[in-house]
Amino acid sequence: MTKQLFPRLLGPVTLVLLALTAWLGLWVTPRDAVQGNLVRLVYVHPAVAWVALYVSFGTATIASVLYLWKRTRSIVMDRVAHCAMEVSVVFIVLTLITGSIWGRPTWGVWWAWDARLTSTAILGVLALGYLALRRANDDQALRARRSAVFAILAAINVPIIHFSVDWWKTLHQGATVFTANRTLLIHGLMAWTLLVSFLGFTLLFFWLLRARYRLEVSRERALSVSLDEALTLRRREGAF
Amino acid sequence: MSSAESTPDLSPVSPPKSSSRGRWRSIGVLAVLALAILALLSQGLLHSLNYFETVDQVLAKRASLGTEVIRLEGVVKPGTITRTSSGASFVVTGSGDHQVYVVAHGSPPQLFQANIPVVVVGHFTTATSLTFDGTQILVKHTASYIAAHPARVKAPNGSVR
Repeated sequence: MTKQLFPRLLGPVTLVLLALTAWLGLWVTPRDAVQGNLVRLVYVHPAVAWVALYVSFGTATIASVLYLWKRTRSIVMDRVAHCAMEVSVVFIVLTLITGSIWGRPTWGVWWAWDARLTSTAILGVLALGYLALRRANDDQALRARRSAVFAILAAINVPIIHFSVDWWKTLHQGATVFTANRTLLIHGLMAWTLLVSFLGFTLLFFWLLRARYRLEVSRERALSVSLDEALTLRRREGAF
Repeated sequence: MSSAESTPDLSPVSPPKSSSRGRWRSIGVLAVLALAILALLSQGLLHSLNYFETVDQVLAKRASLGTEVIRLEGVVKPGTITRTSSGASFVVTGSGDHQVYVVAHGSPPQLFQANIPVVVVGHFTTATSLTFDGTQILVKHTASYIAAHPARVKAPNGSVR
């Protein structure tokens, strides 16, 4: 009962949280002292980036580690890693797009070759590389092993992205939430709305991941059924 | 009908060979992506790992800089902004009394104002001058978000009381 309840509630709860984010972000929260109404993008871009870098890429990496570890190795882990990486690509692209939309009026440019932006773009290319690598091999076990190793190596870029604003001088601002001294640099209702947006987009990821996983299982099942049908047909042909 | 014809051959056969064209295409895509990563590394990380130099750093090596194009970072000094027909002139400050006079061309970004950190792309007008000729102003806003107070009264000159 509980097992079925969570997946059923995932979609509606995600929609409610995202609608709440839109309502709070557009109508309830105040303007920022410096950025004015541009601050409303803070309820989208950081949450999307959070999902892209940590939640989805993290899920793909953890699933890859679990696949490589013999005790937990299963096709389920490979599927989860693959599906999470596909969703990650979507969120990385959204991160770059929403960042550009925010960057143009605030910085004055759509794009800057600073360490944060460049390393995020590299993560996007690495995620695409992972998906290309999966198509380069038909052997399931070999494909799963190679792509798992690739995902883990690509994940090295995630802490580089995170700390890039501390390690180097970047146009991109430093952390607002995950600051070094644990000081939240956003206050009151703005902070609560930010929290709701983080929850909403995180649940959206798991909703998309679940949908993509089910699609993958159906695709594999359809392939398997068509193989069985072909064998049956061949047997019938042989009988006459 | 002979027995050979009536009994089908159902012995296992090797799986069909995968399309080598598809595999080569994927390897080609991987190669293109590897080149893309190298290009990004070259453009973004190796050439501008540190995106700008602060006023303090620039003044410390002023003699060796000459009129080289750099990205200069500093905070816009209040009371120094003058809008011109071609852009704006202002003073950017570093720590202590370090400061550089900037004459920038082109319209400044929406958030450009006093007390805000900016990155100005440009060069010093002469090898020894402390006047910086800016071709682009980028606003480097902070990571802090503080609610504005719309209830406060706005004075005729635009300042908030």
